[in-house]
Amino acid sequence: MRIVVPLKTVPDLVEEIEFTGEGTGIDREYLKFVLNEWDDQALEEALCVKEAAGGEVVVVGLADDPDIEQVLYTAVAKGADRAVRISGGGESTHARSALLAAYLSGSPADLIITGVQAADDLDGQLPPMLAARLGLPHAGVVIAIEAGDGSVTVRQEFAGGRSAELTVTLPAVIGVQAARQTPRYAPITKIRQVMQAGGIEDVTVAAQSGGHGLTIRRMYSPERTAHAQMLDGGADAVADKIIELLRSRGLVKG
Amino acid sequence: MANDILVLAEHSGGQLSDSTYELLGKARELARSTGGKAEVAVFGPADLAGQLGAADTVVWVDHPALAGYVPEAYEKALAHVLAQRSPRLLLLSNATIGLDLGAALSVLWDAPLAAYAVDLIVEDGTPVATCQVLGGKVLAEVALDADRAIATVVGGSFGQAAGQADGTAQVVPVAPPASLDEARMSVRRVIEPEAGDVDITTADLLVSVGRGIGSRDDIELVQELADALDAPLSASRPVTDSGWLPKSRQVGKSGLKVKPKAYLAFGISGAPEHLEGMRDAELIIACNTDAGSPIFEIAHYGTTADLFDLVPALTERLSG
Amino acid sequence: MLVRFVLGAVIMLGGLALAGRRLAWLGRLVRSGAPAPGRVSNVPSRLAAQLVEVIGQRKLLKRWRSGVPHALVFWGFLILLFTVAEALGDTFVSKTFAIPLIGHAAVLGFIEDLFTVIVLAGLAVFTGIRLADSPARRGKKSRFYGSHTGAAWITLGMIATVMITLLGYRAAQVNTGDFPYGRAAFASHGLAAVMRPLGTSANAGLETFFLLANVAVIMGFLVFVTYSKHLHIFLAPLNVTFSRRPRALGALGELPSAPTAAGAGKIGELSWKQLLDTLTCTECGRCQSVCPAWNSGKPLSPKLLIMDLRDHLMASAGGQDAAKPLVPDVIGQDVIWSCTTCGACVEQCPVDIEHVDTIVTLRRRLVEEGRMEPSVQQVLQGDAQQGNTFGKSGRMRARWTRDVGFTVKDARKEPVRYLWFVGDFASFDDRLQALSRRLAGILHDAGVDFGLLFEDEHDDGNDVRRVGEEGLFQMLAEHNMNSFAKASFDEIFTTDPHAFNTLRNEYPSFGLDKPVSHYSQLLDKLLGDGAIAVAPLGLKVTYHDPCYLARHNRLTDPPRRVLRSLGCDLIEMPRHGLNTFCCGAGGGRIWMTDSVPVGPPAGGGSGNGAARHGASGDGAADQGTATGSPPGTERPSENRIREAVALGVSYFVVSCPKDYVMYTDAAKTTGNADRIEVVDLVELVERARALAVPVFEEV
Repeated sequence: MRIVVPLKTVPDLVEEIEFTGEGTGIDREYLKFVLNEWDDQALEEALCVKEAAGGEVVVVGLADDPDIEQVLYTAVAKGADRAVRISGGGESTHARSALLAAYLSGSPADLIITGVQAADDLDGQLPPMLAARLGLPHAGVVIAIEAGDGSVTVRQEFAGGRSAELTVTLPAVIGVQAARQTPRYAPITKIRQVMQAGGIEDVTVAAQSGGHGLTIRRMYSPERTAHAQMLDGGADAVADKIIELLRSRGLVKG
Repeated sequence: MANDILVLAEHSGGQLSDSTYELLGKARELARSTGGKAEVAVFGPADLAGQLGAADTVVWVDHPALAGYVPEAYEKALAHVLAQRSPRLLLLSNATIGLDLGAALSVLWDAPLAAYAVDLIVEDGTPVATCQVLGGKVLAEVALDADRAIATVVGGSFGQAAGQADGTAQVVPVAPPASLDEARMSVRRVIEPEAGDVDITTADLLVSVGRGIGSRDDIELVQELADALDAPLSASRPVTDSGWLPKSRQVGKSGLKVKPKAYLAFGISGAPEHLEGMRDAELIIACNTDAGSPIFEIAHYGTTADLFDLVPALTERLSG
Repeated sequence: MLVRFVLGAVIMLGGLALAGRRLAWLGRLVRSGAPAPGRVSNVPSRLAAQLVEVIGQRKLLKRWRSGVPHALVFWGFLILLFTVAEALGDTFVSKTFAIPLIGHAAVLGFIEDLFTVIVLAGLAVFTGIRLADSPARRGKKSRFYGSHTGAAWITLGMIATVMITLLGYRAAQVNTGDFPYGRAAFASHGLAAVMRPLGTSANAGLETFFLLANVAVIMGFLVFVTYSKHLHIFLAPLNVTFSRRPRALGALGELPSAPTAAGAGKIGELSWKQLLDTLTCTECGRCQSVCPAWNSGKPLSPKLLIMDLRDHLMASAGGQDAAKPLVPDVIGQDVIWSCTTCGACVEQCPVDIEHVDTIVTLRRRLVEEGRMEPSVQQVLQGDAQQGNTFGKSGRMRARWTRDVGFTVKDARKEPVRYLWFVGDFASFDDRLQALSRRLAGILHDAGVDFGLLFEDEHDDGNDVRRVGEEGLFQMLAEHNMNSFAKASFDEIFTTDPHAFNTLRNEYPSFGLDKPVSHYSQLLDKLLGDGAIAVAPLGLKVTYHDPCYLARHNRLTDPPRRVLRSLGCDLIEMPRHGLNTFCCGAGGGRIWMTDSVPVGPPAGGGSGNGAARHGASGDGAADQGTATGSPPGTERPSENRIREAVALGVSYFVVSCPKDYVMYTDAAKTTGNADRIEVVDLVELVERARALAVPVFEEV
């Protein structure tokens, strides 16, 4: 089974976000980029599927994503079999999905597993878009994937703790919310070994048209409309105050 | 037609979701500005028109494949309805169903999509969405100036009242597309939340714990406080994902929505998905060592005290 | 005589054969280990170590109660080799055998008798110590908890028997007229007086009996030694010879690494020195009694760790079990993660076992396999991405300098004398940022020319390395070396003793050639030079030595001199200087969730399987009878605060950012926040400066 896992880097949210001069985009120049956290979950789940059912895991990134090499090498250090870097890029999910669809049409996968969303996909999420472009079935917000014969059974999660098990005929696209286990650690030594060995395959695909059709008027930080009243003092003083707050609402007896 | 606002109804067990009413209420408001109608698409055998009086039209598609939610079948049915009704704007929830369908239809129906919308207005006939991205750190104002568009809306962004208004909707049955007869996807089983556990949605007081707790062993510390307060223990996603507490305790988008009289949050930074589930609590007191955490933006009271100091101090006062 | 000869020969050859076979087997076990580089370099210091550590019994004598008797017994063994030679000569050569060159000098007879008596007295003391600190009664508080106490009693019994048979043989010789020494051999003559009434022929029989018994017991002991923890009498000199000189502290040793995986995961992947360590262990438990993990109810005892490895090494020799993963099959994972790398065990060990290096060797494999607490994994991932362990943006590192009231120099932009390596805690922790600002102000006012690397400073990696993430450590060190190259400076000083340790001892192998000091040294120098105007504080204080300053780097005087310069009255805690007690934060422990201590074991048993570390417990050790609760379940920092409070001092002075955090918390959690204030050296300097500001009276 050939499992393809598209990976994407997103701005590291510990950084302060700054905006471009026109105020219609974020200033990417000084930002640090890290692997999209849902993609990290997707990779883990893909590796678990491979370990359970065999096959190969191919991680795929777009060449224009900042720090994508680091992410691809880390994925290989964790156990991905191959890493592919596709020419081009694009900040919108529409553009990304078009490039990935072009690649996947040329090198079809049995199963495409990727993060259900990314922190910056303003124009929509990758898995459904990719599935629509490829004409494949798709399910998102998935928390477990079990490979069967020509199909997979996935557990899709809904609000309120409800979930459903779906059987999906392959090939298919799955959007992962959370892997069955915490994403594994890639020791730096191993990542460095992998980097030294190189081996990212560069693939060129024809440029795709893939506008997202949105007109971004402005981007800005949310105003801090309200802020909690901060309780000061040590833990004891704070505890006293909290008890008082609860007591005044009749939530603590006495 | 081209000025209508279409909402996809989400339902299970004959019950419409809160988000359906939130979206319908908004759809009515927007439809007044566009001069169109507020329409709701309902899939499956259940006759829900009676609960959707606030809509102008209920577009009803029934087919055996639509008996429950199946992403593929819903996608086909909704694409079919969109082709037939050609609304100006399609509104979906930014939860599982909307996440499944929104981006797919953006391609299939060739319409731009504004994801993570927290506000929607119509300006000179053009829908304008305010979207929350990068973990709530950035708001983007986007104009949907194509002749058709989709928005997926974050739960809790709008009130439900307008969507629950009385009225009578015109029911328009639509014949299912033939493509529904073929399926590459089926539901094997539906798993309801574990019964027998406490119901955190009915509690007056909730003690909630997040990633900041660090380990399974330390849950006990917060459990002791919850016991002393006679309140159930709830959690944010990282805690239930790690299996430290059952899924039935999870507050947030993919968990439960709660509205207690007081919500005590320990070690919860306040990801948008979590805030969605608890922002309506009457009193929110948050404890997190990072003063910049988003939880403090919606909490009424906050402290950066270390939870490992504060929680025992609280327990001691309650049991002393 | 023929009987004597034949019997003696049978006993002796049999004993030597059995012991020799065992020793050869043990030798093969040790040689099965991985290479241990650098163990034969610097021969003079290794010979010196023989003199000081083995002959001089340096570490043992630090605890005089057990050390003095041990030294006397040890020296007694050396002296009594003469009696062994004489006994063998009598058996196999002739009744008039004398050691060549020495002969039967009266002084030899005296010394032999003297040490026979001293050894017997020493055994009596050992018996007393073992009874007083019996694990059967004191449970985990006993340093012998988990040791083979049965074997220890047999050892004491056998040594006593050697002494008694020797004396008996010599007394009988006196009575038969065979004794070559005069009355200077006081004990032999004394006992002879008691045995004389038995008559000459009985004494002649006793002479042969005691002689053969003496040879037999010596040979029996020889064989027993090779099968028991008393093997240390042969291996300790070897282990000390091959130990890291001058000590296995400071820099991490050169650890073994399997060809395809980091560290060691199987017994054969440990280095031969690490295997020799395990065989050398005497189970004395000095390490266990000072270990902060063991003393706070954690499952780690350095002694039990080494014993478990040894038992597994022997049991698995050449068998399939050798392929077992050491963790968790032999050692529990929580055991490995309990270590703070404080080095108290290494400092104490009389036979120079290198516990910390072995633990880090095992950790390296665990890290490679991702077997660590999620919180640690998160810290490591963040550190790799951001260069700090706080999960914060690297650009925020020097934000604390905004409010110092002057411009802190950027060493990348202008040359400075001192490069201040601030470290993660002092840069990112709110409480410690205030201290950093104070120190900056003091240095500024004292005219010290210093600067920072700002966001180009990354985590120093000391703790990352000790967690076992060697690759990340290398990456951080390389990054910091690049940052140093961008800057112009003459010296480095650090806030954090951990940073100090790695910069001083480990970065040189990355090319760092600048002197490194700790801020306590800099303050000491400035106060000594009169560059900081202070008035005496007159406070009663105690001072906590950071492990990485005191034990790992032998720096105990500068902070004390600072306190003296400030006019503080220093009351020492019982555990101070090189014997300082760890706060519990080192070795990456600060990233692990430590707040709920292990509870006391259920019932009266030895509890939760912690009797021995792994699941391998074959019941060989005598711990089954152990009862009682662990020595303590409070955190090491809490235990330490109580130690300080008992002194009646009001100030607990620290010189390490982690200590500041740990002890401020501990003062609160133990309810002592009102009784004792945790202050950093910097704060005291600041207060003394404030007092020194002249007050002008209005005229």
